[in-house]
Amino acid sequence: MNLSDPHHPWSRLSAGARRHVDERGVAAPYGFATRVAALAMATERARVSLFERFSLRAMGVACLLLLGSLAANYSAISNAFAEEPLVPGDPVAELLDGSSS
Amino acid sequence: MADDQSFDLAGCLDRVRQRDQAAARELVEHLHPLVIRIVRSHLPRRVAEEDLSQEIFMKMFTRIGQYQGAVPFPHWVSRIAVTTCIDHLRAQKRRPEFRWADLSENEAEVLDSVMTNENDVAANDSFAAHELVGKLLDQLKPDDRLVIQMLDLEQKTIAEICALTGWNTSLVKVRAFRARRKLRKLFEELKRKERS
Repeated sequence: MNLSDPHHPWSRLSAGARRHVDERGVAAPYGFATRVAALAMATERARVSLFERFSLRAMGVACLLLLGSLAANYSAISNAFAEEPLVPGDPVAELLDGSSS
Repeated sequence: MADDQSFDLAGCLDRVRQRDQAAARELVEHLHPLVIRIVRSHLPRRVAEEDLSQEIFMKMFTRIGQYQGAVPFPHWVSRIAVTTCIDHLRAQKRRPEFRWADLSENEAEVLDSVMTNENDVAANDSFAAHELVGKLLDQLKPDDRLVIQMLDLEQKTIAEICALTGWNTSLVKVRAFRARRKLRKLFEELKRKERS
């Protein structure tokens, strides 16, 4: 017998179940809305403040690393900006020197 | 209340997006009837309805920035509620075995009556029928249970089920077919055992 047949036990049972009226209230219990709203807003704020705190710390650490690496490589950096002397016998340097003159 | 026409939902949503706690409270109060009806229809065993509805509202607030207005806001919340209930039902790995011995006297009488005669369930037995249907649906896989509950108890259309669950039409039909086949087998089995 097909389950969608109105004479099938399931059909009559589900029709009986549909007649049941749930008389429980549907309004939010006392304090529920306040608690949920406070939790939702607090979670939002906590997530933002956590991000802010970590981003500030990350910026501080990044600045320290920058200063440290500058100090450690000061001589290499200052040499890079100094004019490089011509190496005698360097064909590329001689070529460039010849073309500019 | 969800059917309160005077409630300014759009204005309330704007204020919630600006993290207005009073507006958030108003929104929860407004949507609670809608959410609690879904929760009560699909409440898994050993889960408190208040805990589940709180989880649904928390998800709603977390995702509120993603709401684009393509569907009415209550529909969007209904979908969150249905998917949260499905997740909880899926988390229940074990399904209790359906036994005559576990039924209350009234439930056993109703089941006996629908299986042995052609009469409809009496009006004063509707609560027992409701409980009995819940126990029979517990035998199904969560997704199949949800489909058959929406089709046969809530009398929703396939299109409405698709909108609420995000599943396509064929999937809903396959799940309904599978659920009906399982229920049919269950009834055949019950008929064989018949209050032994």
